[in-house]
Amino acid sequence: MRNGTKLLMLAVMALACTACLMASGANAASLGPTDSGAQAAQVMFPVSNQPNPTAAGMKPVVFNHLIHEKAVEDCTTCHHTGDPQSCTTCHTVEGSGNGNFVTLERAMHATNIAKRAENTPQSCVSCHEQQFARRECAGCHSIVKAERGNDWCAVCHNVSPTPKQMQDGCAGKMSAEENLKLAEATIAAHQPAQPISPMSGPLKLRIGALADKYQPNLFTHRRHVASLWDAIKDDKLAQAFHSKPETLCAACHHRSPLSATPPKCGSCHSTTLDPANPQRPTLKAAYHLQCMGCHEGMKVERPRKTDCATCHKPAQ
Amino acid sequence: MNRRKFLTILGSAGVASSLGTTLTATKAEAGAHVFPNYDESYGVLHDTTRCIGCRRCEEGCNKANDLPKPDKPFSDLSVTSQRRRTSADAWTVVNKYVVDGKPVFRKLQCFHCNDPACASACFAKCFSKLPNGVVTYEGSQCVGCRYCMIACPFYVPGFEYDEALDPLVQKCTFCEHRLVEGKLPGCVEACPMDALTFGRRSDLIRIARARINENPGKYVNYIYGEEDAGGTAWMVLAPAKDGKGSPLPQNPIDAGHTLEQMDLNTHLGNRPMGELTYGALGAVPMIVAFWPVLFGGAYAITKRREAMAKQAQDAVVKEAHEDVVAAVDAAVRKLEETEGPGAAERARRAMTEALKAREAEAAHAKHGEDS
Repeated sequence: MRNGTKLLMLAVMALACTACLMASGANAASLGPTDSGAQAAQVMFPVSNQPNPTAAGMKPVVFNHLIHEKAVEDCTTCHHTGDPQSCTTCHTVEGSGNGNFVTLERAMHATNIAKRAENTPQSCVSCHEQQFARRECAGCHSIVKAERGNDWCAVCHNVSPTPKQMQDGCAGKMSAEENLKLAEATIAAHQPAQPISPMSGPLKLRIGALADKYQPNLFTHRRHVASLWDAIKDDKLAQAFHSKPETLCAACHHRSPLSATPPKCGSCHSTTLDPANPQRPTLKAAYHLQCMGCHEGMKVERPRKTDCATCHKPAQ
Repeated sequence: MNRRKFLTILGSAGVASSLGTTLTATKAEAGAHVFPNYDESYGVLHDTTRCIGCRRCEEGCNKANDLPKPDKPFSDLSVTSQRRRTSADAWTVVNKYVVDGKPVFRKLQCFHCNDPACASACFAKCFSKLPNGVVTYEGSQCVGCRYCMIACPFYVPGFEYDEALDPLVQKCTFCEHRLVEGKLPGCVEACPMDALTFGRRSDLIRIARARINENPGKYVNYIYGEEDAGGTAWMVLAPAKDGKGSPLPQNPIDAGHTLEQMDLNTHLGNRPMGELTYGALGAVPMIVAFWPVLFGGAYAITKRREAMAKQAQDAVVKEAHEDVVAAVDAAVRKLEETEGPGAAERARRAMTEALKAREAEAAHAKHGEDS
């Protein structure tokens, strides 16, 4: 009966999981009322005059109006004309005269928006990128830029409608109720990534590959990760966009595939200039640029950049 | 051989020799003045957004070139707030500039121009641009005129004013002695931030462009030295006005405001400094060859004209004199026929005396004119 017990346990666990998932799904089905009276969430389809726009190949985006309206100053931050209408009314896939022929893609993603005399419009991306300037974000985001690959797109483009829904949505014919239902289902199904615990990383690291004039540095790896994590653990934006458990690691362990055991700095940064990659900093510079870049972004005043002995004591 | 023939020969010989000089001068101009754009030349990109003003580059330079120990140690970072210049003992210095309220450090050294102004100004041909990008100075022919120091648009060369005998010009050598050994320049090797990136100049321009593109709002959209003063091997990237950056692609013209605050002259133009003077300086050998012929010829012509005028005058005077003598002779003969030989003799004597008195008077008058 040893196998039987195991099976029983597995069955119980499976049941528990299903129940839990169903319960959470049921709980999150409705988002609650908005202050503005707008629909709490909606799926943004690539609305077009064409029956089958090219953009229909991309998954639509779910926009949580409830969260966003609490985060911005007033409606005109997004509804830049002052008229609370849907973005796709003017900004269609092809662009229309009403929207000054600014296409939907530009309206959502542009970061090079010319300043207007008043009320410069924002795109989703430009507004979110401005958040990088916040102190808790600026450390990592000043030294690393998210790679704009499929993962980057998929954070927002995550709605999976049926072909019929997609067709209705693109034609702008979907009913508000159906749209809300699809949006709420997508939001409910989304599970925020659980970041890797700082405890799973090393406590301290001895950085000594270059020790020469100075003694090796004892880098408090866990303390650094924990402090980064503490600053953003309740931040909804970070939760939404740090979409993989290892995303936070990638601030320092950049330009390599996300992994819980990323390569060391010295794996790519050689101690002497690499003639094949003259743009790549040497190991010493890589450490200094990374450490000082993050500290500067987070406005860590001390140690000063020229106080060498604070981080590594002079060799005897 | 008469005078005219001699002058003709001399003149044609002069023209021939001056033509020869002109030809050689043109050749020399092509060889020494217009430096080809060496595709494979090296350079250094100085990213001032990375520079922390630690003066390690100064120390590295000092060690690599066995320069004398400075008065203040390299660990004293306060000196960066002075506007220091490069000198014979310090071939590179780091200065702090306040750009829009924020401190920015910039390293000063020889920019190793593609077509160096110092070389164009040096008549002893001490400077040359090597295919590896280095602008070298070789002082064995240096006369100490310091024209190179005046010509340099970056005020780089320093002079050994302390040297009593044979003072030389000193400036950054791009650590050429290290380059040939396959080592990096002393300052580049010492930089802990890679604020100095060594590489082929063409690669560095690509790297700089990539940095500007990948970090919108971090840099001004301008690579100082890419075109300035005809292009330099050492180039500078400057920080953008505000750290957040404007979303628009920055207009390179806006960079001037930042660069000026970092003491980088943006009015050097995109042509080599030397181009302004090559034309005038190239004419010097021609002047040397032509002027003796020109002025010698003019002198000869004037002299000859004077001689001819004198000859003509003499002929007229002689004729007039002969006429007078003939007339007097005829008159005396007639007197002899009518009055007898005694009277003729008296008339002759009187005539001779009168002529003598007149000549004496004329000589006196001439003498008076001269004095």
